[in-house]
This record gives sequence, C-alpha cells and structure tokens, in this order.
Amino acid sequence: MVPVRTWRRPLDADKVKPPQAEIHIIRDRCKGCGFCIEFCPKDVLEESNEINERGVRPPKVVDESRCALCGFCSAVCPDFAIFTKEKNAKKKENQ
Amino acid sequence: MTEALSQPQEKDDIRIGVYVCHCGLNIAGSVDCKQVADFAATLPHVVLAKDNRYTCSDQGQELIKKDIKEEKLNRVVVASCSPRLHEPTFRRACEEAGLNKYLFEMANIREHCSWVHLYEKDAATEKAKDLVRMAVAKVALLEPETESVVSITPKALVIGGGVAGIQAALDLADTGYWVYLVEKEPSIGGRMAQIDKTFPTMDCSICILAPKMSDVGKHPHIELLTNSEVLDVKGYIGNFKVKVLKKPRYVTKDCSACGECSKVCPVIAPNEFDVGLATRHAVYTPFAQAVPSTYIIDRNLCLNKENIIVCDKCIKACERKTIDFNMKTETLELDVGTIIVATGADVYDPTAFVNYGYTRYPNVITSLEFERLINAGGPSGGHLIRPSDVQIPDSVAFIQCVGSRSESGNLYCSNVCCMNTIKDALLIKEHWPDTKIYAYYVDIRAFGKGFEDLYKRARKEGVLFIRGLPTEIVENKKTHDLWLVGENTLQQEIYKTKVGMVILSVGIEPRQDSEIIQRLFTLSRTPDGFFMEAHPKLRPVDAPTGGVFLAGCAESPKDIKDSVTQASAAAARAGILMAKGKVTVEAITSKLISDNCTGCQMCAKVCPFNAINVVPERKKVELIEAACSGCGTCGAECPFDAITMRHFTDAQILAQIDAATELDADKKIVAFCCNWCAYAGADFAGVNRMQYPTNVRIIRTMCSGRVAPKFVERAFARGAAAVLVAGCHFGDCHYINANHQTQKRAERLWKKMERLGLNRERLQLAWISAAEGEKLASTAKNMQAVVSSVTAEEIEKSKKMTERG
Repeated sequence: MVPVRTWRRPLDADKVKPPQAEIHIIRDRCKGCGFCIEFCPKDVLEESNEINERGVRPPKVVDESRCALCGFCSAVCPDFAIFTKEKNAKKKENQ
Repeated sequence: MTEALSQPQEKDDIRIGVYVCHCGLNIAGSVDCKQVADFAATLPHVVLAKDNRYTCSDQGQELIKKDIKEEKLNRVVVASCSPRLHEPTFRRACEEAGLNKYLFEMANIREHCSWVHLYEKDAATEKAKDLVRMAVAKVALLEPETESVVSITPKALVIGGGVAGIQAALDLADTGYWVYLVEKEPSIGGRMAQIDKTFPTMDCSICILAPKMSDVGKHPHIELLTNSEVLDVKGYIGNFKVKVLKKPRYVTKDCSACGECSKVCPVIAPNEFDVGLATRHAVYTPFAQAVPSTYIIDRNLCLNKENIIVCDKCIKACERKTIDFNMKTETLELDVGTIIVATGADVYDPTAFVNYGYTRYPNVITSLEFERLINAGGPSGGHLIRPSDVQIPDSVAFIQCVGSRSESGNLYCSNVCCMNTIKDALLIKEHWPDTKIYAYYVDIRAFGKGFEDLYKRARKEGVLFIRGLPTEIVENKKTHDLWLVGENTLQQEIYKTKVGMVILSVGIEPRQDSEIIQRLFTLSRTPDGFFMEAHPKLRPVDAPTGGVFLAGCAESPKDIKDSVTQASAAAARAGILMAKGKVTVEAITSKLISDNCTGCQMCAKVCPFNAINVVPERKKVELIEAACSGCGTCGAECPFDAITMRHFTDAQILAQIDAATELDADKKIVAFCCNWCAYAGADFAGVNRMQYPTNVRIIRTMCSGRVAPKFVERAFARGAAAVLVAGCHFGDCHYINANHQTQKRAERLWKKMERLGLNRERLQLAWISAAEGEKLASTAKNMQAVVSSVTAEEIEKSKKMTERG
C-alpha cells in the first residue's frame, strides 16, 4: 500500500460509523464448543467464568463496539445460543 | 588494405599515434601538453605524437583519420578525458579510417589528472606522462576484435504507473511495441492523481491525467499489471527475463464499479489516497477515476482471513457475482528487451521537525494533505478546512523547504515545492480572496517557463512572501491557532505571526524501496538516493545498465512536465534499441586457451553468470559467449592462465603495471579500479575538482574481480609503495557478486604479505560507488601515510611476492 502515515482522524469518521451491534447470548443453551469464540474475526468474545445449566462456560462479550455484525457466530453455533442485532434498528422501531 | 592495417602481427609493424588533448584549458591549465606529447614521441613504437586544442572536435578526429591513412598508424592513443565519455567517439573515428576500434586506447589525463591536481603543474605533467606511457604500453598489445550481435525482444517493461510510466508506456505502445506496465498500487495514476491543480497553468490535474490513464487501460498493446511487483530480473540488454508477482484483487474483471460492496463492508480504515483524511472500506477503489476501475479487497483489513469466509456481505451485495476469495497470487515470467524504471518518489515526513509540531498540532498540515483538502473530489469537498474545528481559516502560512536544503532533512532542493506553494496560495485566493496568506521561504526558485509570471501574480494578489523560516510554531491550546516565530532576514526583524493553519511545503524523497529496485537492475544511486544516469549531460535517461532507462522522480525530483518529457525521451531511447532489433556486444568477453586448461573448474565456481560449462570427458571447460558479461573474475581465478579476457588480457594489464612503476615506483600507488563504480567515482572526483595526491596511477578493469593476485604481486615486485583495489559496494556489483571474489583474493594476499613480513596496509581494498568521488580522494590521501612509511628495505623484500606461492 501507499507508504503514508495516516495519523489523523479521518474527516468523515462520524458519517461512516459502522452500525453498532447488540450481541445476545442465551447462556443456558450453550454447550461450550467455543466455535463462536474461535471464529469471531474481531475477537469480540471470550470464555466466561460462570457455569451454566449444562455445566459449561458460555462465552461473554469483551467489547461489543468491536463487533462488525458479520453474524458468523450465530451461523456456526450448533445450539442457536447466540445472535446479533443492529442497535439503531431497534431504536428506530421504538420511535 | 583494411585487413592489412588492422591485423599487424609482428611487433616491428606496430605504429602508434599519440594525441594529447588540451581540452581548452581543462587539461592545458594544469598539464604541459606539449611536453607530454614530446615525451610520448620517445616511447617505443610511437611514430608520431601531437598535441591539439580539442581532439574530440571534427578537426581533431579528421587529423586522426588522416594520420591513420597517411602515416599508416595501426594503433591510436588519445590522452584526454575519461574513456567513459569519449571512447566511443574516437573508436568511431578509428573505424571510419579503417582501423579496428579495439586498437584504440585512452589515457585519462583530465578527470584523473589535470582536474584533481589543479595547482601542481609539474607533478601533474609527470603523472600525465606516466598515464600516456601506460596507455602506449597497453595499446601495443591490443588485438583487433569482432563484436558479436545480440537480438532484441521487441517488448518493453515499464515499472511504475505514475505520469512518467504512463507516458512512457503510451509512447512505446503507440510506436507498436508490446508494453507491460507494472504498478504496485491497485490503480495507476501515481502522485499526479492526488494533486488538485498543476502549475503554472492551473489545469485540473486528474482531468488531464484521467484520459491518459484510460488510454493505458484500453490500449491494445499494453498489458497493465496492477497490484504487482517485480521480483527478479535476469538476462542482459535485449533479452531480460523478468519475474513479476501479481497479487490477487479478489474481484474479477467483470466488476462494474457500482460500489454496492463497499456500502455494506463493515470494515472502515483511513484511505491512503486521501493521506488518511477520508475513510475507505476493506473492499474499495482508491479514487473515482482509478484504472483499472475494478474494486479490490484489502485482505489485511478484511474479516475473512485465510480460507474461512466469515463475512459474506460484499458477496451478497454484488449483483454480477464478481467477488472471488479463491483468487491466488500469480508469478508471471516476462521476456522483454528494454526496461523503463519510473518508480517515482516518496513525500518527506515532517514529523522529524519537532519545532513545527506536525502530528502534535492538528492544524499543521503537509502540502500533500492540502492537495486533498482543496480538491473538489477530496474529503472536504474542496473546502480548505482546519482539521481541528472544520472551519475555513482566515489566515494561513506556508513554510518552504521542510525536509529540503537542510542538514536535518535532505540536502538537495526538491525542485517543485516553491511553485507548488505559489499555486496553492493562488488557489486559496481564488476561492477565499480575503484569506491572509504568508509564505516563509529561504529562496523562491521560479525558474521554469511561466513560473515567474505565476510568482508575480501571487504577489499581486497579496500573498506575502517573507524570507526566513519560522524557528518554531506555538499552538494556542484552546483555539488551536498557531503562532509562528522567526526572523525576517531581509528586514532583520523578529516576526511573531498568528495564523489559523500552517501548510508545510514538504520535499520529495527517494522511494523507501529504492534499494530493492537498485539491486534488481544493478543501478547506481547518487548520495541523495535517487537513481544515477549513465551520463548527467549526454545520456540523461539511460541507466548505466544496458537496455534500462529512467524516467520521472525516480531519477531526481521534478515536476509533471519534466517527468513527461523524460518519459518520452526514455521511450524514444528504448524504441531506438527495439527498432534496430539487434545490438552489438562489446568484445570484452573471456577466451579459453584450451591447451592450458586442466578442467579444474575453479573458473566455473566463481562465474556469476553460469557462463562456463564443464566438459568432463575432455577435462576442459567450455565458455558460453552469449552469457558472458566480461567481468573477468574467471581469468583472475584460473591458476593455469587458461582464460584471458579480450581487451583486458593479462599481458596488457601487466604492461600497464610495468609502465606505471617504471619511474619512482617506491612513491607510487598502483590503483585497480572497476569500470562501473570506482573508476567512475574517480571521474566524479575529477568533475567535482576534488584534489588528491598525484602519486596514484589508476588502471581500469571492467570489474574488481578481474584483478588477479598476480597483478598485485607484480606491482609490489616492481617496487610500488602501495596498491589499491577498488570496486563496487557489495550488492552494487555490475556482475552480480563478482566483487566477493575480490574480497577473498585480497584476504589471501594479506595473509601472504604477513607471512613475508610485509606491512599489510600497503594493499588496500576499498568499495567506492560512482558517486563517491570524495571517498576515492580521501582513500588516496589516507594512503599517503603508508606510502611515506615504506622503507627501501621493505620494497626490496616485497619483490619476493612473485617468487613464492
């Protein structure tokens, strides 16, 4: 790529903000396979310390703002225990 | 008649003519040319010796031709400038008079004598005599040679798709040659595409460039390879084999550039094309006019790593199904005859100027950032805004020479920044006439066509030009306004000025990866880091490597017009070669004396070009002339004198050594300099009048690898005080790595000298590039201590060098 130093905050950074995600984890459905954690391209998830009904450690969200809403976690989850939604979409509905 | 003239066999038949040139006062100013000519007349086989004002003039050449015919000369020596300058001229004159051009020799008494010994007329005259004696000794042993002919592939490779590369590619393709244009970015266009307007005509830059870019994209004779890099170059003039790494775009050619993929891409990053002032997505096109217009996926940013498709938003958004994550990197092998290097330049990073606060103060921007801000298609829609508050400033200051003409940046002038600032100031005045504009400068250099008019116009419009750069910029932390403090050196007053925004007029630098390009094509670089031309005046677009040409900022900082001019010139030069279809190769290749060869294969091991085959059943080696480049390292390695280099035979070089050491050997340095770097460096020292001691006698070989240990031993045996072997730096060798052999041989010689109880300092090895005249001069100076410390006893002892192995 072009060898330039890009240190400034781009002028259009506010306009092109990526949609914010809302991550929902249904803890007790999780069987602890860890696929969602392993395949998340933005490393949004990690194993939590608590133990669920099925006796495993479900994932927890490290930083929701990093989520790019690719939806791969819900696609790979064998137990339909995780899904993502766009934050603004919900707000719009409320309005 | 010609036959008889060019092939004298008997020693008695040798008839040498010597011409000593005054070169006006360039030589005659420090050398008594008449005395040198009189001296030459006394040398063996010399039948006539003349001195004249300009031997290279038509009259001078006619005189040589006349003498060859009337006086039946069969060898010619001209004592004048460097053979790198006028050897071709005189060789042609000899040929025209029917004398084989390999029976001509030059004594370099200008670059290597008069210019470097300006104030020592007697010593310089003596040195000139020695140089003539050496040339006469060599010329007597020269043999007529015939050159072999090599065909030229009618295809060209252009590296770099900036305006220079575009112009060169179009010119060559329009002439009818096939052109490969390699660009490492996703789009061609280069720096010119980033610029808003061009000076002095104030044309819209992309508006005049875009048509050329699309011409390249659809030209039937151009194969455009974007996102590609040159990996490897092999071969020689007319027959290069180039490996190009073509990285995948992950979007096929069917892309309609609708941009739907980009809209849904969740990854956002700064756009390099806008110098980080705007954003782009992982799937993107750098700018609207990009050629090719096909989008590209930046896999460093994309969520899809390796083989897992995590995010398929772009795939779903693309109606034409052009996104393909299975695309692989390809390596292409291209056969080309000529190469044009137009790799462009980088922009100076002003962060190093801490006192100007770039990256600390948001409202201090570079001139490249300015171009993106003032551009209607840029991130601010053409509004010059302050990054801190997105407001249009009421006053701005330009600071010139940031990173140019200064010890803390680069020493050279970057050529374009003065005019660029004047243009930028006028652009601001055009849009916001009330803006107060200050331009702080060292000197305003408005030397080109129409430049002075533009400068005058800027002053008339009220741009204030103030001589004296600010020493510091201080920021008001609340308003982000900037205070400039410095001295107006014309009025000798201190100024303290408040402005809303500062534009640093940054200089131009060699590309960071110039070193890779330099190695690939065995180019040379100036101390500034830009590529060096074969001759600064007469071959300004030729690289020293045959078949390679230079264009644009890769050669030196220059504006668009100069880049285009140079590109067309480079295309014309490459076109000349390809139109001829063939080129003669200098007859300086190796020759086998079959009877002496024992098949030991030592030569084959050191040959950098694999030009030596071993024939085991015959216990002999076989030389492949077409692959031989004539470095001579095989000849230096052969322990049985079974290989000799044409035009640089052992006998000829030994004769030069003997001639150089005939008088006062114990005070002399015999220097072996390679043609490409050290000898050229010595020429450079001459051109720049760098004075050094008069006791150096330079013998030219094509490569330092040609210098056989026996040459060094002979010099010592003849009583020389010191010997210098000088070649190209490692990695710069014009024969790949032949100079590694030079190093090994020097180490063996040092060991031998120590064994014999000799001061090893008397043999020195130096790596001197063509631009390091200063290094040659200082090496010569430093060796004086060794020369003066050598005693008569030691000289006597060193005569044993040749005796024992």
